[in-house]
Amino acid sequence: MKQEYSFEINNIKDLSSKEKDFRKQSLDLFLKTGFPNKKNEDWKFTDFNSILNENFDKITNDFKFDLNKKVEILKNFEHNYILLTNGVLSSSNFDYEDKNKIEIKDFKNINSDISITSNALTLLNNALSSGGYSLNVSENYKFNKPLIIYNYFSKNLKNVILNNKNYIRLNKGSELIALEYTFDDSNENFINNTLDNVSIDNEAVFKSVFIQNSRNSGYFYRYIQSFLEQNSNYQNLILTSGLKFNKMEIEVNLNKEQSNCSILSALNISSQEHQEIKTKINHHAPNCESYQKIKNVVNANGKGVYQGKIFVKDIAQKTNAYQLSKALILDDKAEFDAKPELEIYADDVKCSHGSTSGSLDPDAIHYLMTRGINLKLAKQILINGFLNDILDNISNKNIKLFAQSILERQIDGLKKH
Amino acid sequence: MLILKNLKASINDKKIIKGLNLEIKPGEVHAIMGPNGSGKSTLANILSGKKGYEISGDLIYQNQSLKDISIEERAQKGIFLAFQYPLEIPGVNTSNFLKTSLNSLRKAKGLKEVDTLKFLKLIKEKSSELNIDEKFLSRQLNVGFSGGEKKKNEILQMKLLEPKLSILDETDSGLDIDALKIVADGVNSYKSKENAFLIITHYQRLLDYIKPDFIHVLSDGKIIKTGCADLGQELEKSGYENLN
Repeated sequence: MKQEYSFEINNIKDLSSKEKDFRKQSLDLFLKTGFPNKKNEDWKFTDFNSILNENFDKITNDFKFDLNKKVEILKNFEHNYILLTNGVLSSSNFDYEDKNKIEIKDFKNINSDISITSNALTLLNNALSSGGYSLNVSENYKFNKPLIIYNYFSKNLKNVILNNKNYIRLNKGSELIALEYTFDDSNENFINNTLDNVSIDNEAVFKSVFIQNSRNSGYFYRYIQSFLEQNSNYQNLILTSGLKFNKMEIEVNLNKEQSNCSILSALNISSQEHQEIKTKINHHAPNCESYQKIKNVVNANGKGVYQGKIFVKDIAQKTNAYQLSKALILDDKAEFDAKPELEIYADDVKCSHGSTSGSLDPDAIHYLMTRGINLKLAKQILINGFLNDILDNISNKNIKLFAQSILERQIDGLKKH
Repeated sequence: MLILKNLKASINDKKIIKGLNLEIKPGEVHAIMGPNGSGKSTLANILSGKKGYEISGDLIYQNQSLKDISIEERAQKGIFLAFQYPLEIPGVNTSNFLKTSLNSLRKAKGLKEVDTLKFLKLIKEKSSELNIDEKFLSRQLNVGFSGGEKKKNEILQMKLLEPKLSILDETDSGLDIDALKIVADGVNSYKSKENAFLIITHYQRLLDYIKPDFIHVLSDGKIIKTGCADLGQELEKSGYENLN
């Protein structure tokens, strides 16, 4: 069954005629191809079009919602926050910070610079984006407390596609730890298509953690495009277990020397869930480092995918690039696909990649059970042991403790919010 | 406490235990000695409930057949196996594991779970008895532990979980004299009228420190000789070959 699209640019308020034109062009280009399917190499393990066909009879960007959602703020640790309701900035609080050093605003403007024209979902985002946030941190400003981005999805999103754009800029020497915390009241299928543009200037540090807190009815696609300048540092840690469908594409451009990035994930993928992490690390300058460690546990008929590409430009000598994917496959019907790719044009580089998959060690289960621990708990302990080491990379103690508690719940099986 | 009658066990059609009879009463210490491949570790595995064996004969523990009792239930009923090769389990914190284990047993007995503070106090006490450094409790379970540390960790678990029947599978192998003494002291201090031990070993050495009430010689899946503590010394001198 082919779903019906109902995409209307006129629903979006306050557009200049120039913006309208750009959006129309983008929509026309999208409609030529539609949602990507497995014939597209970037989507070979994730046939998005078929998945949508199975779960949506109609897709529309026409919806209304109340922006004044009251959110229960986490009490676990002191933090600043941004609240997004259906992807749109609805409030923020930076009481722990010097407010003159932080600029936060609604981000609606379509900037043709950030379009990635070959990507159908980016085209759709450019056409239909209904907002997001723009965060700009001043030079040398280091956040006192972490920032939590509450990413809340409301009820009544049946058949809706939400397109959002966010822009994060860390100016020279600034530092930020952000945690994006997704939760929802939705009970019907919806799609969230997000485009993040991250710009990290010289000596700046940006650490970002994505956490899923409940079972979710959304189908999530996110493209994060990041640009790193000299001696900057970017860390991206993904803990999004509990989503029915999630594909995160992360593009990192190491544009200047001594910049480094790490991409880490710990996912427990349950029945009927499908998650993909796709990375492209572009080493454009010498002496940069990239580190990727992807861990997946796949249960029942779940599916996990990792496509990781490392590109090293000819001038990017002394590159150090590392990539490792490890999966635990816990059921005959579970599937995990990994596709590592190296494209190297420099001759003095250190690049390594590895991929392993296996099942739980029956002797380890036996050992735990001889200590009175039941089978279910023994498996959970081993799964936790397998995924938990990823969290050692979180430098902030509060966030680490919080992430550990979420991971335990994700392994136990997240409930509906 | 434990009665084995004409116990037979095979794995992948290979017969390993071939009609074994043994009775262990509360308060007794039994040692099983025997050459390599005689079925000693298989016996330990079967008692712990390890899957994969075809079993016939009687396996009675506290007047109940163990045949349909799961691994964790056996532990909950008081059977403890100290492993010959304790498993390394990456990512699992030793202290958390011990707490989970203790609370699993308490829960099965209908007791209240021990909270973190109480647990830490308890585990500190037990570890110092065994001369175990506290740092070791925050490490990953058995990962990077020396042979001696692994075995001490097994005895620590025994003392923490307070089983009725403790099966020690070659706990002495890989131990230096000091560690051997500590392990033996650990066992001796836990011995009581209510609980029993089955000690599997190749050597008399451990039995110099833990005095058994009976020594059985296991050969080709059967107990071929039973004697008192002196039998061990005899075997040490003349080997298994000269029996019969």
